[in-house]
Amino acid sequence: MAAEATPFTYAQDKLTFLLALVPYLLDIGRVSVTDAAAHFQVTEKQIRDAVSLIAVSGVPGETTQYQHGDLFDISWDDFDERDEIVITHKVALDDSPRFSAREAAALIAGLQYLQSLPENVDGGVYSSLMDKLARGASERPSQVAVARSETTGSLAEVRDAVARGRRLEFDYLSSRGSQERRLVDPLRIDSDDENWYLRAWDRVRGAVRTFRLDRMTGLRVTDEPVDAHGELPIGDSLFQGGDDDLVVTLELDATALSMLGEFVASVDPRRLDAGPDAPAGSSGRVRVRIRVAHLHGLKRLVTSLSWTVTVIEPAEARAAVVDWAEEALARYRQPLDTVQDAGGNTAGPGLA
Amino acid sequence: MEERLFSLVLALLATEAGLTKAEILSTVQGYRQRYEPSGENTTLERQFERDKDDIRELGVPLETIDTPGEPGNNQSLRYRIPRTAYELPADITFSPAETALLNLAAMAWQEGSLSRESRRALLKLRSIGVETSDPVLGYAPRIRTRDAAFGPLSDALSKRVTASFSYLKPGDPAARYRTVEPLALVQHQGRWHLKAIDQAVKQQRTFLLSRITGAVKLGRLPLPADTGSYAASALEELDRIWEGNVAEIQVRPGTDAAVRLSRRRGASVEPGDRILLHFTDANLLADELAGFGPEVRVIGPGTLVDAVVQRLEAAIRRHGDPVSAPAGEAR
Repeated sequence: MAAEATPFTYAQDKLTFLLALVPYLLDIGRVSVTDAAAHFQVTEKQIRDAVSLIAVSGVPGETTQYQHGDLFDISWDDFDERDEIVITHKVALDDSPRFSAREAAALIAGLQYLQSLPENVDGGVYSSLMDKLARGASERPSQVAVARSETTGSLAEVRDAVARGRRLEFDYLSSRGSQERRLVDPLRIDSDDENWYLRAWDRVRGAVRTFRLDRMTGLRVTDEPVDAHGELPIGDSLFQGGDDDLVVTLELDATALSMLGEFVASVDPRRLDAGPDAPAGSSGRVRVRIRVAHLHGLKRLVTSLSWTVTVIEPAEARAAVVDWAEEALARYRQPLDTVQDAGGNTAGPGLA
Repeated sequence: MEERLFSLVLALLATEAGLTKAEILSTVQGYRQRYEPSGENTTLERQFERDKDDIRELGVPLETIDTPGEPGNNQSLRYRIPRTAYELPADITFSPAETALLNLAAMAWQEGSLSRESRRALLKLRSIGVETSDPVLGYAPRIRTRDAAFGPLSDALSKRVTASFSYLKPGDPAARYRTVEPLALVQHQGRWHLKAIDQAVKQQRTFLLSRITGAVKLGRLPLPADTGSYAASALEELDRIWEGNVAEIQVRPGTDAAVRLSRRRGASVEPGDRILLHFTDANLLADELAGFGPEVRVIGPGTLVDAVVQRLEAAIRRHGDPVSAPAGEAR
């Protein structure tokens, strides 16, 4: 969780940290800065800064002058010399704060999403957790929900291979349309809403690759243990660019930008066609450059967004889209019964 | 700034009877240094208003009480944070296994609009001292909130105010401006939907966030507190629609479409390379099926066939001729 060690940007988040830290320190009695930082997954500096602030904070008190007894106190010797924290005098705060409506809602919706994981977790565990979060919130959790995502059957087997560190073998249909048997060391299962991916060390290519679970067939968990890959940088982005990537310029309605998802490499902020009568807001046309591995993926993306996306360049990308759509339209011009697979890939996993 | 907020929370937790605004501004650290005993203190008062909003958003129950005999008098209104409403009930504890699941649930939001909320929730969890067992290894789940409207709408939902936006319904010639009372935000089939009462017709409607164009504007007046389980009922309703809509598709064997569509939830594979698919929205499915190009041919329903053909024709229209450079395009 590397992202968690980043310092807090907002005062609200810093305040939450202070309100969370004090009850923990009171409860534990004595703790080293190192251990406290590890527990909260923050840096040691964040702990020291927070403790220094707590030690001079308190309540106005009877005199409204923040007298000594109105302030927190810590054992300064322990703090300065041994890097340990002991609160020796407390004011006002004892216990951990409740969750806000949105905080509880975020975790509840996250749990709903996780229910589709093939973990051996009883459904009762989830509902009891959600109930505790709702009871621990200061207001009714916001109405945010995520439907249990669809998972293909292979998720359980892939998960098993990841957990036991076994190599996986499967047929994989690439988006180029070629089918190949792959042998991989599974590293991690990623999801992106309802899409599931395996991040794995491809033994033939000698590199980390991302595989869509719904493109795998003939999956087999082998008995061979995976190699130790140490701390392989997997990265958060599902789509890793390569040197031979194609850069394509698209034009589309600004409101449709989110549809491109991770494809967007750079957004040209200039609005096109935004005449004097154009409404304010983000309703103009924009140009973006996206990186794609090959035209096979691009023509699919563009055709699925044909109500808004136009490929500007390169010309071969425009031609690929036209060919793809033409070929598809041709199928509708034939009577249904004669629709047959023309260039048939009969070796593929045909439908029963 | 967090010093002032921290001092404010401590002062309001420590008081039983509550403090008036004047008492807060003149005595609490962070305010008192800037307090003018004989002045107007308008800047400071505005600061206090913002701070109140900030700490309430964190789930800190800030309460106001009228001074007996002076109901409605703003100056004598007293502020406090009742301890029992502030503190997490003592019987709420989490096992290491439960904590591991909650960590994973929070991680799913890592880059979404609720990432700060989930991170704060984790801080509060760690506050109760639970040891985290090993994380559930080998997963990096993600819930995406790519729609720009998600942030403002979830704000409107938790603040219980109206939201206004332009909404482009497929088939409509132009976007229409709607003002709604948000009830729930739900993700179904990977798409975010808003369940809300459309104020123009006083009826519940479901909106797709991806069809909201332009900025979302929030209202100011608070709506009455909601009590229904709108999120659950919205998901059930979407499931019913999904169940009731069936598309029949012919696929080319061995293609991406054949492999992926046949493994969808509820997909049924029929003789003659045909697949029956459930769907919630014909236009969304048509987008997706158009992307599969010649790998699929839609057999029915007719509206879906038409929608896919229209998309294919649009793709050809957009790319059939050389690009005409728009005015002002310099290279």
